[in-house]
Amino acid sequence: MASRAVTGLFDAGTIADRWIADYCAPGRASDTLCARASGDEGWTAMLEELAAFVGDEPLDHARERAQRHAEDIGTGFRIAGEGEERPWPLSPVPLMIPATEWEGIASGVVQRADLFEAIVADIYGEGRLVAEGHLPAALVTGSPFFLRPLQGMTPPGGYHLQFIAADLGRGPDGEWRVLADHVRAPAGAGYALENRLAMSRMLGGLQTRLNIERQAPFFAAFREGIAALCRRSDPRIALLTPGRLNPSYAEQAHLARYLGLLLVEGADLTVIDDRLYVRTIAGLKRVDAVWRRVDPRLLDPLAFDSHSTIGVAGLVDALAAGSVVVANAPGTGVVESPAFAAFLPWLSQVMRGEELRLPTIATWWCGQERERERVADRLDSLVIAPAFGVAARGLPDGPALGNDLTEAARAALLADLARRPQDYVGREVVRLSTMPVVAGDGLEPRPFILRVFAARGADGKWTVLPGGFARIGEHPDPRAMVMGEGSWSADVCVHGPTSVEPVTLLPSGETMALRRNPGTLPSRVADNLFWLGRYLERGEALLAMLRVLLGNSISADSGAALSAATVRRLVDLVVAGGAAPAPASYRRSDLQQFVRAALEETDGWYSVRSINRQARLIGQISRERLAADMMRLLDAPFPTRGGLLDKAGSLQRRYSALAGLSSEHMARTDAWRFHDLGRRLERAMMVTRVVRGFSGADVTADDLSTLLDLADSQISYRQRYPTGMARVPVLDLVALDPGNPRSIAFQVQAIADHLAGLPVLSDDGIAEPQQALARELEAIVATARPTEIDEPLLARIDDGLARLSDAIGRRYFLQGAEPLRAAGLVLA
Amino acid sequence: MRYAIRHVTRFEYAEPAAFARCNLRLKPIDWPGQHLESYHLSVEPGGHTYPARAEAGLAHVVRLVVAEPARTLTIESTATVTVDRMIPVPDASDPTLGEIAIAARASRDMSAASPANYLFPSPLIPIDDEIAQWCAQELAPDRGALEAGIALARRIQNAFSFDTTATLVDTTPHEAFAKRGGVCQDFAQIMISGMRAAGLPAAYASGYLRTLPPPGQPRLVGADATHAWVLLWCGAERGWVGLDPTNGIWMASDHVLMAVGRDYADIAPIDGIVLGSGAQKMDVSVDVEPLETVAA
Repeated sequence: MASRAVTGLFDAGTIADRWIADYCAPGRASDTLCARASGDEGWTAMLEELAAFVGDEPLDHARERAQRHAEDIGTGFRIAGEGEERPWPLSPVPLMIPATEWEGIASGVVQRADLFEAIVADIYGEGRLVAEGHLPAALVTGSPFFLRPLQGMTPPGGYHLQFIAADLGRGPDGEWRVLADHVRAPAGAGYALENRLAMSRMLGGLQTRLNIERQAPFFAAFREGIAALCRRSDPRIALLTPGRLNPSYAEQAHLARYLGLLLVEGADLTVIDDRLYVRTIAGLKRVDAVWRRVDPRLLDPLAFDSHSTIGVAGLVDALAAGSVVVANAPGTGVVESPAFAAFLPWLSQVMRGEELRLPTIATWWCGQERERERVADRLDSLVIAPAFGVAARGLPDGPALGNDLTEAARAALLADLARRPQDYVGREVVRLSTMPVVAGDGLEPRPFILRVFAARGADGKWTVLPGGFARIGEHPDPRAMVMGEGSWSADVCVHGPTSVEPVTLLPSGETMALRRNPGTLPSRVADNLFWLGRYLERGEALLAMLRVLLGNSISADSGAALSAATVRRLVDLVVAGGAAPAPASYRRSDLQQFVRAALEETDGWYSVRSINRQARLIGQISRERLAADMMRLLDAPFPTRGGLLDKAGSLQRRYSALAGLSSEHMARTDAWRFHDLGRRLERAMMVTRVVRGFSGADVTADDLSTLLDLADSQISYRQRYPTGMARVPVLDLVALDPGNPRSIAFQVQAIADHLAGLPVLSDDGIAEPQQALARELEAIVATARPTEIDEPLLARIDDGLARLSDAIGRRYFLQGAEPLRAAGLVLA
Repeated sequence: MRYAIRHVTRFEYAEPAAFARCNLRLKPIDWPGQHLESYHLSVEPGGHTYPARAEAGLAHVVRLVVAEPARTLTIESTATVTVDRMIPVPDASDPTLGEIAIAARASRDMSAASPANYLFPSPLIPIDDEIAQWCAQELAPDRGALEAGIALARRIQNAFSFDTTATLVDTTPHEAFAKRGGVCQDFAQIMISGMRAAGLPAAYASGYLRTLPPPGQPRLVGADATHAWVLLWCGAERGWVGLDPTNGIWMASDHVLMAVGRDYADIAPIDGIVLGSGAQKMDVSVDVEPLETVAA
């Protein structure tokens, strides 16, 4: 068992003992901590570690530290309907469960998983449970997740379920019972993983001290379980996400990264001849299995809801053909209905001859005459809830305690209970026991729910994640939790006498085939990285223009005011780019207003702020491909302090840092190539446009100097031509000089090289259209004579770049899918 | 009665559609009192059709894949169907509404024809307070099921105006109810919503009406397009009884059933995915000709 023989922990031990004494003093006998068995050192050891971690600081700081760790790991979640992600609320006090107690929980969850598999297989297969009267047909058809098109279909490998979760409550007597089952697309395993990661950064010593069970073997078993059902030996497994706006998108991205799954959206996938493929930059690639986090009803617009835009047309056909594994199989959510709980004890007897090891919350389905009468009679002492999880007419505000209903609400409920009894269940009122959380400078009890996860391994047997995560209610009133609210999460540590071997998901070096290419790059990801590059480059270019305008026309003491004609040209460029409407006049106040608008207005204009927002949105959906520092810069709020020049300066530094990160920190993969392609193409377009604006026959020294500023080539020019401004040398440097990293020639060459380095669809050796276009453009620029740079040549380059952009889109990106950038902004 | 049915749907696309993958549920099902004698489906341009594996409602489904870019798509469905259905006569021995609700809840039938399948709100037909209250006037639990069913269908026909401009294909029952107007789909949805709110098993029927009435009778509303009406399950003896709220009549020998589902989404004659940009125009023409008169 745990020992305290660690140097320097004496003080921590005293503090922990005092915390426990204070906490348990007010007669909290049923609390999880206070009711621990004698000899169970888990809570004490954990609180000692916490005390040692906190040191002299108030306990409150532990909460902030836990929060910060969670943020660093990138854990976030979204409330449905909100645009912004929220940080994941992590409590610094984990829930401690001794291994002996855990065994009971785990075996109960495994029993449940096996039972669910048997029930689902019967419902979609033989149908004996209904035919023999063990289950009313209406209990099945009432579920919005009963999918009739799947009747008669056996999934490949024979299993419907690969991954389930259950919400458990601990009663005041210490007994665990199941409050809810999650079978459809159980969420939260990623949060359990992230909680553990954050906690091990805080309480690192606890792991070995208490022999805390590790999580990695569970996730490995889950992945192997899916792989075992696939026909190919090295299968490609994808995690199908509903997309960025899903409340647990961050969790899905994290799990995909951790499990080595390809994170895809419906638009990335296509079914051809009953096989599933992902669209990648190297063409269509077979997908063997899908872990879906998409609502099953939206999974296939041909089989289910034809309005679904997040599904894959034909996926159910591929499933029926046995060529793709879908975990969990669509339609399994039928057993999730609250009404199902009423039948589980009986079904366990009928199908497996067993009592349920974990009791389910006692439930009566009112679709049966006797049960309806019983519930109506005992309304005051029961919770009454919708039977199928969807709103019921008599419960406009969701589940309610009979006791809490007003006279009118009660009458309305009873009336609908008479008309549509099948829509209601009565449930016993569950009392939850508590666990400690940090409140102020001490610990306070809060009710909690434990979410447990189980996965099917390669041998077909279930493994339970040791731990899971606890959701902790905001209020001491346990009834709030029954309604499914949870405002804090905590790690769950299963600890025991057996020492735990360190394991991670990393296989040993000898068994791994070495590869330097990270593999499949979905077209959508390439598309996003390409546009991230374009937006960042465009923002940088616009900022450069605004800074020249600010520096020369607004700041009175700069002494370097530009001629009115040059200012006009600059304004025209900004307007042509759509950053802001043309100023009312060229007076200083109007110009200042113009620059402000181009910097931070957002109403439909393509200002720096709008560009930032677009870049950030793309960053969020590409997070599994971007460095954390890059995400932080993309997520940084728009500067609010200082004048326009300060804001522009601060933004410019941010853009430079982003450029530095992408050139120094991104591995030279195809993903990086697309990001850099976007940057190069946008820069080539911007420089071409600037040159077109500032190279006419009437060009002035001011114009040329501005051109050098905008192309960031002032210093190179002065070193080469100390005598001063001249048209041809300036144009040569910014347009044709392949040695100048800001020149058109340099960008075009880089683009051609990138395109040559990307995968081709055929091995016939013939250049693809975008490759040919790039080489053609490269030749035009390379053979142009500096003295002949004129409008027709520049127009030709401009047109060539636009065609190249189209060709890149056609060849590599999704066609027909709704791209993110369509939201409000149009790029030329 | 024997009918020759010709149902042509023509799509035009402003830009060529790159790819189409559709469900066609155009082939009429067999049903008590109704038998499909012959059937032919033709699609122009070609494309590939095959029977679909999975289906949500009672329908014959064919998948259509058109992999070549196309500016138009014409789908022609022709069928010969014999219909010999008596007009139901309500009887004092009919089960009451309350009895059929209980029987449907206790059903042990999991097939698509089971009343248990049609007890619940469905994606396009939610339960609606106002509709429920209005329909409840005809749906007292102790009333005979057939008598109450036809009374509700007639109440809807009287209170609502047939108005093709009032609603669109995606108008909700709630909106159509507020306007007291619409087309067959709106009336069927309102009636189903009201019946389900009362705990009754009510299904959405899609099909055809004979185009020209027998001599001396008025032309039925909805005969120049596909028609929609309601099926109410009236207990094991009576089975499914058809009620047409658009015309305030029973489903009898003038109605040809094409498919039955929880709502239109289960059995839309044509749905699916078309990849392309630009506008789409759709034209539908339906002809239902009696081939000969069966001696009454």
